[in-house]
Amino acid sequence: MMFATAMKRRAFSLLQGLVVPVLLVGVWELLSRQSATYAYVFVSVEGIWESSLELLGSGELALNFLATLRCALQSILIGSLLGIGVGTLMGISRIAEILIGPLYHTVRQVPLLGWIPLIGLWFGTGEFAKNLMVVTAVFYPMVLHTYEGIRNVEKHYMEVGQVFRFNRWQRFVHILLPNAWPSIFTGFLNALAFAWVATIGSELLFATGPGLGGLMLIAQAASKMEVVIVCIVTIGLTGYLMNHGIARIRKWLLKWRYAH
Amino acid sequence: MRLPGFRVLGGYLGRRALLWISPLAVLLLWVAVCRAGVFPEQILVSPGVVLDTFVELWASGELPEHIGLSLYRLAWGFALGVFLGVAFGVSMALSPLVEKLFSPFFNAVRQVPSIAFIPVFILMFGVEETFKIVIVTKAAFFPVAVAAVDAVKGIPQRLVEVAKVYRLPLLPLVRRLILPSTVPPIFTGMRLSLTRAWIVLVAAELLASDSGIGQMMEMGRQMFRIDIVMVGVALTGVIGFTLDRGCQLMEWRLIRWRTR
Repeated sequence: MMFATAMKRRAFSLLQGLVVPVLLVGVWELLSRQSATYAYVFVSVEGIWESSLELLGSGELALNFLATLRCALQSILIGSLLGIGVGTLMGISRIAEILIGPLYHTVRQVPLLGWIPLIGLWFGTGEFAKNLMVVTAVFYPMVLHTYEGIRNVEKHYMEVGQVFRFNRWQRFVHILLPNAWPSIFTGFLNALAFAWVATIGSELLFATGPGLGGLMLIAQAASKMEVVIVCIVTIGLTGYLMNHGIARIRKWLLKWRYAH
Repeated sequence: MRLPGFRVLGGYLGRRALLWISPLAVLLLWVAVCRAGVFPEQILVSPGVVLDTFVELWASGELPEHIGLSLYRLAWGFALGVFLGVAFGVSMALSPLVEKLFSPFFNAVRQVPSIAFIPVFILMFGVEETFKIVIVTKAAFFPVAVAAVDAVKGIPQRLVEVAKVYRLPLLPLVRRLILPSTVPPIFTGMRLSLTRAWIVLVAAELLASDSGIGQMMEMGRQMFRIDIVMVGVALTGVIGFTLDRGCQLMEWRLIRWRTR
């Protein structure tokens, strides 16, 4: 009985949530029927539907989506490894901290997308330039979180290390790294979201090669709103799934940490 | 005679000086590489040339105009975004109906990075001023709206009840309880909004514009004027940094005001 009411309430709130999107789609459809100029921008819902079927059927969407995903994943891998490396170095060595820290904080002040014209001049607009952007986007938070994780190690653990007469390497492997791990992982989860935005951004701004950003830009130049919308929905869905997955992992990790 | 104060001061200054080592080294390397003529002028020019270009662009009035236009767009879009964001956030927090109706749609749109909306807005509004202000508004809206929802929901209910028991008039209630508990978190959201809005604006200007910092860099890139591009990159960083730091200072003052 309770279950049934809960289900009903849930269904009801789901319906309520659908009111605004449905209304908006309705207004969109109405606008598309106003005049030819309007139909140019507000492509009819049917047109969007057909175009998405076509993009899906021809494999064009999948091709571009996979290209975007590949760029993001490659760069996430490289960026995290580099970030963990540099962050660790800054965390364990005062000299590295003094040398790298100021440069890192200066360079970081320029918004990532602001580098695009310079990177375009130096490295062209190909895959390398795109990867460089995304690697940097991942690199920043990874350095910061690794560094902080290593610096904020509990004092007693270091004292225990002294009791055991750990050498530098043992101290790093048995004390610093395990302590920094949660912070590094938080950095990684942040970096995932940044990587996605940076990939889309650099694809849009470099506008070469396959990828959702490029597809969108070409569609915009050809005034194909329907393709742009399909791309936006794909980008949004991927972002949503990613954030959802990240939130779940966070929850699971928190539980796991409290349990131990 | 020992002067611990001086020693501390000396240590502090020494540490400060150490922080300059690596930026200075990079600068020297940059100058040296240019002197040696390793790279052609289209790839790398010396810091002196960049500075000259900056002075020249500034004196000719070209640079102030670009900066002025960019900041004008930022100000309008940001003001609109903050206004709409606060209004929307507060109504979502206060009315369960509004929340049920809008939050699914709100959360869905939030998943798409602002920069991905550039092609949509270009198709809808053209490449003129409207498009730039709309994209900045969009970028500024979401962080503020999220912060406003959390801020209003975070007003300590127990204190509100105490105020009711004492029949505190509306004006003191707002001044002593509502504003102090909502303004600082909303302000934090605004700071995030401002940084994001700035990045998105520069990206929009890079993609489609006839003026502004972003367009200046894009022109520089197309004409292989690396000096102009570098001036633009540095300025993008300086402006972004100044905006963020300004907000931070105001935030600190606000927090002081709250705890008083």
